[in-house]
Amino acid sequence: MRAPDDTTIKAGQTLLSVENVSLSFGGVKAIRGVSFDIKKGEIRAIIGPNGAGKTSMLNVINGFYHPQEGQITFKGVKRKKMRPNDAANGGIARTFQNVALFRSMTTLDNIMAGRTLKMHSNFFWQLWRYGPAEREEIEHRHKVEEIIDFLEIEHIRRVPVGRLPYGLQKRVELGRALAMEPELLLLDEPMAGMNLEEKEDMCRYIIDVNNHFGTTIALIEHDMGVVMDLANRVIVLDYGQKIADGTPDEVKANKAVIDAYLGVAH
Amino acid sequence: MLCVKPYGMLCKIFVVPFYEMWDLPDIFVQTLWEGLVGGTLYSLIALGFVLVFKASGVFNFAQGIMVVFAALSLVGLHSLGVPAFLALILAAGIMFVLAYSVERVVLRPLVNQPDIILFMATFGLTYFLIGLGELIFGGDPKVMITKQLYIPTGALSFDFGGGRVELQKLDITAMVVASIMVAGLAVFFSKTRIGRALRAVADSHKAALSVGISLNQIWVIVWFAAGLVALVTGIMWGARSEVSFALEIIALKALPVLILGGFTSIPGAIVGGLIIGIGEKVGEIYWGPLLGGGIESWLAYMIALAFLLFRPQGLFGEKIIERV
Amino acid sequence: MLYREAGQFKTNYRDDMAVFPILQDRIGILIILIIAFAVVPFVGNNFLLHAIMIPFLVFALATIGLNILTGYTGLLSLGTGGFMGVGAYACYKLTTTFPDVNVLVWVICSGFFSAAIGVVFGLPSLRIKGFYLAVATLASQFFLQWCFIRIPWLVNYNLSNAIEVPRRSLFGIPVTGPEATPQTRYFVVLTIVVLMTWIASNLVRGRIGRMWMAVRDMDIAAELMGVRLLNTKLLAFAVSSFYCGVAGALLVFLYYGSAEATAFSINQSFAVLSMVIVGGLGSLLGSFLGAALIFTLPILLPHFMAGLGLPIQSATAEHISFMIVGALIIFFLIVEPHGLARLWQIAKQKLRVWPYPY
Repeated sequence: MRAPDDTTIKAGQTLLSVENVSLSFGGVKAIRGVSFDIKKGEIRAIIGPNGAGKTSMLNVINGFYHPQEGQITFKGVKRKKMRPNDAANGGIARTFQNVALFRSMTTLDNIMAGRTLKMHSNFFWQLWRYGPAEREEIEHRHKVEEIIDFLEIEHIRRVPVGRLPYGLQKRVELGRALAMEPELLLLDEPMAGMNLEEKEDMCRYIIDVNNHFGTTIALIEHDMGVVMDLANRVIVLDYGQKIADGTPDEVKANKAVIDAYLGVAH
Repeated sequence: MLCVKPYGMLCKIFVVPFYEMWDLPDIFVQTLWEGLVGGTLYSLIALGFVLVFKASGVFNFAQGIMVVFAALSLVGLHSLGVPAFLALILAAGIMFVLAYSVERVVLRPLVNQPDIILFMATFGLTYFLIGLGELIFGGDPKVMITKQLYIPTGALSFDFGGGRVELQKLDITAMVVASIMVAGLAVFFSKTRIGRALRAVADSHKAALSVGISLNQIWVIVWFAAGLVALVTGIMWGARSEVSFALEIIALKALPVLILGGFTSIPGAIVGGLIIGIGEKVGEIYWGPLLGGGIESWLAYMIALAFLLFRPQGLFGEKIIERV
Repeated sequence: MLYREAGQFKTNYRDDMAVFPILQDRIGILIILIIAFAVVPFVGNNFLLHAIMIPFLVFALATIGLNILTGYTGLLSLGTGGFMGVGAYACYKLTTTFPDVNVLVWVICSGFFSAAIGVVFGLPSLRIKGFYLAVATLASQFFLQWCFIRIPWLVNYNLSNAIEVPRRSLFGIPVTGPEATPQTRYFVVLTIVVLMTWIASNLVRGRIGRMWMAVRDMDIAAELMGVRLLNTKLLAFAVSSFYCGVAGALLVFLYYGSAEATAFSINQSFAVLSMVIVGGLGSLLGSFLGAALIFTLPILLPHFMAGLGLPIQSATAEHISFMIVGALIIFFLIVEPHGLARLWQIAKQKLRVWPYPY
């Protein structure tokens, strides 16, 4: 079931590479021949105008969409056709553009749900909630409390997330993804619709996650200031094609990017 | 006679029924006709579902009981001495009151709730109407006032393939009325201002509201339209058998019809109804005896289920692309 | 004042994750259990035990079953009656084929049969969602009911074409059949229902319950977190059908005494669904409250009306209770979609801060 662990990737080596991926829905080409790589330990940003194929790219990476062409290699293993839960097994977690939390469950349960893959006690013990089942529940509760502590959401532990304000929901969603202890964390517009203060908080959490846990992060974001500060390297998509790839400074200076996206007066 | 030992069962399933169809064409034609008529009635109920689903996104579980309720009102009023056609108009009036109250009491407070909540609300409405109907009219089956409404009875029969095929005039009437009603609804939907508003509402509630369409008014209209469809269905069905609460269970067969046709397509409801009607009749007559008969009670659902596995979006639905 | 959790600090996660973390709740449930086991069977008359308590508990069990599927996992089912029937017929076949094995063993085992059937009819749930799935469960309902009528082998070819519950005993005391006293039957039902409720609460609070709820709330996100949708849904179908199957077996063996196929008709499915809605989707406590309200309403209504000086016939009472149930369903959906269980929580919250408003 689980991905072989012998292929450990060291920091700075390629964790995930996307080669020549194309994706279309019927006649609409969402992604056309995009290639890039994500190195272990970096923060990689994907930017581009609306409809450029950013979210589709994330969906391809975690196996929700199947590209018609191209190859994805994760941790040195070429990927065959897979179900999304295989990606989760392999250590890819993500958050969503429109918060996709389990709305009627509490914060605690949401983050506990993120630990699903790490829990193995069988059905028999679950029935009695005894022995391994109970031990496991407590053990994972410790882990989850660490995350709750880290994200400073102790006070909303028992609140159903549907009742929380948007900013907090985004934070809970990050917590749920972190609970999976992913190697690669995909963040789809983690700061959309937030005010300045919330954005600053979120940036801090992202940097902390990257520093403390060494988690590789790929994020989509529209706020250029945030992207330039956070990211080690940036990919720019436009109409499904990659038009630039490099450090924030390189990208900022790129003519094609300025034309397509940054929209500085000519 | 035809089937030799080791292949007995296979032969009985794959050969004998078709041989019988070919051998006794009159029975086959009669079966097809019965299926067609049954299918028309399923189509009519499904049509009521589709109307409501299109305009309000509500999966109206109560359509079946509305059929019963409409027919009972008609018969009940007539038994009180109201002349048949006046009773018809009054029954339509009752359906309007029902539509108005449903909009007021059930739909308006539940606007923007998840679909499942709305479905359950109509489930509650079903319970309420069953209780109310039995309280007012009693639980016994009633006879439809066929004659008083000048619905032709009797049969046309003609010789065919060595036997006689009988077509009930009642059934022919039902099909004609159904066709007229579908055509009328189609014109109403495509040509009138209200029809356009209806289609707008079907696409998006919020967008329709923002251009000044009154959702409440639209809902009353579609529920009333569904009520009228229910009344016609009730008359036709009641004339064929009797007016009883058992109809409400039979009306559930409109659900497999909807699955075949898609929840939002009027032509789908018609075609689906005919397929289900013919399919279950032919299945019952030619394959039913192998299983001991009575397979009509579930065949429609199984057809729909098998169909769903291959085409989850229905005959006329569009392929769904999931997005996150 | 009395219902206050102040000062009850949890020092470890085990206590914090208990079913009833608050002391008063623990005392409350203990009192209810004591009353149920030690007071009701000795104080209550046969009418109370046989006509109210036993069927109420059995329906509560069926409601828990459907709640696991519809309330916790979000899969709408209209086939509860059929699954209950599978349990009843399986139990009958088992106990008549192996009369020496204790009937209670077979009551529980019959759950496995209906679980298996539930899984088969749950298979389409991977491709079919929402109302489409409801239709798939209707297929199971009508198909199973047809089987009960058309397969005489299921009732050992007896002429009545009905299950006739034989006499079976436990430690020499008859528990099924005409000789069994209401007290005995009540104890048996109560024990099984309490045990299975406890198990259900273990399941829904743990990993499996979270997976079910995750699938209900946002199946795509759940899948992207590693939840296997098909397995999770099928498990819900299996567990749910197991509960319904045991409830069906109990219903026939310890309440009806004999039953024809009509006992497991679609109306039974509807009744259980209405209990789930009124009680509250996704609540075990609600399952009991919903079953209690909906089952006892038509029984108590004539007494109540007679008390008001308005005697009504039992048929009328039934019609009126249909209307009341319908109105209640709509009322709850509008005012409090989480049903009676949620009202109870609100009441507790008020009690907690009483006598202050906040």
